[in-house]
Amino acid sequence: MLGTQSTSRQRALVGRATTFAARRAGALLLSAACFALAPTTALAQAQEQLVIEAGRIVVDPTTEIQDGVIVVEGGRIKAIGKRGEVEVPWEAAVVGGPQFTAFPGFVEAYSSRGMDRPNEGIDVAAFLDVRDSIDPINLYFQDCLRWGITTINVQQGADCVIGGKGRIVKPVGITIDQITVRPGYGLVLSAAPKRGKSRATQAQGMRDAFRDLRTYLEEIVQDARNGGDLARREALAQGRELKGEDAQGRAMTGSAWKVEGLELIPRGAIDEKQAPLLALVEGRTPAFFHCAAPHDVHLALRTARENGFLERTTLVLDNSCWKAADLIKEAGVAVVLTGSLVHVETDPVTGEETETFVPGVFQEKGVAYTLSSQNSSTTSLWYQAARATGLGLTREQALTAVTLTPAKILGLEEHVGSLQVGRLGNVLLMSGDPLATTTWVEHVIVEGAHVYDRSKDPRNKILIEGEDPVDHLSTHD
Amino acid sequence: MIALSSRLAAGATLALASLLAIGAASALPGATAQDGAESAPRTSWTVAADRIHTATGRVIENGFVRVENGRIVAMGPGDAGADFHVAAITPGLVEASSGIALGEATVEQVSETTPEVSLEEGLDLFSTRWTVELNGGVTTTLALPLDENVLGGLPVVIKTGGGEPTLDSRMVKARVLVRGAFGDQPSRSNSPFSGTAWGMYHRLPTTRMGVEYEFRRAFYEAIRARNDASYASPGAAVLQQVLAGEVPLMVRASARLDVRTALALKAEFALPKFIVDGAGELLEEEEMVVASGAAFVFAPLTFDGNTGIDGGVLPWNTPARLAERGVTFALSGGSHPNREYRLALQPGHAMRGGLSFEKALEAVTIAPARMLGVADRVGSIEAGKDADLVFWSGTPFEYTSRITGVMVSGELAVDPRAAK
Repeated sequence: MLGTQSTSRQRALVGRATTFAARRAGALLLSAACFALAPTTALAQAQEQLVIEAGRIVVDPTTEIQDGVIVVEGGRIKAIGKRGEVEVPWEAAVVGGPQFTAFPGFVEAYSSRGMDRPNEGIDVAAFLDVRDSIDPINLYFQDCLRWGITTINVQQGADCVIGGKGRIVKPVGITIDQITVRPGYGLVLSAAPKRGKSRATQAQGMRDAFRDLRTYLEEIVQDARNGGDLARREALAQGRELKGEDAQGRAMTGSAWKVEGLELIPRGAIDEKQAPLLALVEGRTPAFFHCAAPHDVHLALRTARENGFLERTTLVLDNSCWKAADLIKEAGVAVVLTGSLVHVETDPVTGEETETFVPGVFQEKGVAYTLSSQNSSTTSLWYQAARATGLGLTREQALTAVTLTPAKILGLEEHVGSLQVGRLGNVLLMSGDPLATTTWVEHVIVEGAHVYDRSKDPRNKILIEGEDPVDHLSTHD
Repeated sequence: MIALSSRLAAGATLALASLLAIGAASALPGATAQDGAESAPRTSWTVAADRIHTATGRVIENGFVRVENGRIVAMGPGDAGADFHVAAITPGLVEASSGIALGEATVEQVSETTPEVSLEEGLDLFSTRWTVELNGGVTTTLALPLDENVLGGLPVVIKTGGGEPTLDSRMVKARVLVRGAFGDQPSRSNSPFSGTAWGMYHRLPTTRMGVEYEFRRAFYEAIRARNDASYASPGAAVLQQVLAGEVPLMVRASARLDVRTALALKAEFALPKFIVDGAGELLEEEEMVVASGAAFVFAPLTFDGNTGIDGGVLPWNTPARLAERGVTFALSGGSHPNREYRLALQPGHAMRGGLSFEKALEAVTIAPARMLGVADRVGSIEAGKDADLVFWSGTPFEYTSRITGVMVSGELAVDPRAAK
């Protein structure tokens, strides 16, 4: 998807109601409107060029260029190197300067925010798609931009047995198409009990979902063998036309179990409630599997193995799941660490607290892990990385966990996570070292478009510089 | 990183010394005194560090701090036989507003204004919440009553660790100030339209104006009591001390309207010593704040600006701006449930907002100590003060540093030598 067009001048973010008291909401909206120019909606022209200058470029956690320049064309990095050694198009806009440190945009490997609600009430909701619930102008995306997170994997939340399809987005744009980087990506499952369920009924629900899939496939195959037309007729009743590839049948390619004879059924005729699960079992879609406690890991890994999608599974872990690290290592899956960096357990008798640094456990065991920004939308990835460095990770490990590793988990390592020729032009210009306490994200460039300038950010002015939103409302002075 | 060579040498010396001590003790019959000495925690140490931030304006590079029997006795450059070495030392942090509500027992709700009730007997020192604060670097804290009353009583300054969990062992000072509160909390549960019509739910105040009314009534009665014995009461006696400036008044006010109310009442009664706690929206009334002469304890700086008190918002540049204007203030973590907002991280947040390192350090050490009237004992690394120290793995308050050790009253509550 192409990035959004902007002049490298004033560009404000039009935000929705904030987390402030209600009396501020109106004021903020008004003040934001005062600051905003025309909302950016146009798509970048293919030949759009941008030159980014920085006193220091962090290419990846182990490589840096001093006094460098990045040339972005058509949304991708065309050249990167020391100033003077890189040919710079004279007609391109320039952003940055020697006081900045350039850094790849952070990658959020899993998020269930930015939607009106993270889950439906239905247990097995594989037919849903976050496309229908993502709100591009949600404050969450605005904050992502503010903190330099430029790639976000939005998936449904953990309150389900099997959730819907997610997508990878960038925090720029006001329609779903504008923000999408990769649509129809990923399916969510939860080993942790959905609200109202016990562990037993959750596990049963999980088994039932896959058994129902199998039963359904066997039924339609049997029906086809008997000369019936059930699948195709149901598809037409659901309003789907069978054209092109959808009209073709294909044998099932599951690695753990298969239903013979599926080639008799046009693929497009498979019930839309079952088709995503079929894609999962055939290994065609990645799975994000929630675990809230160590015992959930068992259920998750077993389900993934029994249904042949272990290789495409990423576990989304809460605090205490580090206790199952050996099991996770053995299964060879990567993990996303939600929850806090330090897991605190209180002895019920003495009241003494034991603290475990969760990323450290996985680092030591050799499991690939990513950090994630937490419940508050503003506990950002760079903050997580900085705190993790203090708690036991090395600088390279912490930075890798918020750039390269999540990019790899999302299958986007050729596009994001580091600043190299050919990658997307997702660049942050920071006021200092990425992990220093007083560093701010000053500018954000997404796919070659300069989309954020902190000095013009109205919410930043109110939150950080104490500007009174009411000041913009006064009618006399 | 910890210098292994000096650690090993010190460790060997320590081991030898303790062996000798044990040997000597067991040689004597009926050695009860020696038993006590063996089991009492050690309170004399010499600690070396790359940098020692004393909070007096002096920073000692490659120096040591010597502690004897729970007091700081010396500090300076050099490493004079250190027991162990750390990257940096700061004074133990002083939390001016603890936020640890140990239940309704901390506030006497029989009346809306109970300024005479001291918290001394209402504290649960066995609570593990104090230990959590201690592990977070806070060695001295002000234990407050809940803000359910307009004038809640007399808080206590205590140590969060060291010695026995008793008031005798841990109290630093009682009756340090009078606590009051503006805003929603003193009136929140008092609606006569909810609950039964009798009992404490029938009391005032039910609105902010009721809170202000109660506050003024209490003070005017105290003034009247000077001449009219029929208005005398224990509460009036305490408020007369506040009026005379003998005891500070600390009120909670976060949102702009509450800050205005508080400062206006300070002016109305000409209260000489006045502290606004949980302060949030100060920049919006910057001139009033500066002119008032009051001191301020900030609510915790949070990433989205919400103080969590009456919808007040605290912009991150507030401490820096007030420092420029010469206003006295302290940072506070309020024992926030989210560990990222606790006191040890607040200076980092304030520095992001533009506050200098030295001022940020003072705002969590000597400034709150002075506000609470305990600066003779805590708040900086100076000879004669209590041995309350925090040991860091790098530059203090940076997000990339962590607390590796805490010493309170000379005891190593968190031992930096413990293996990771």
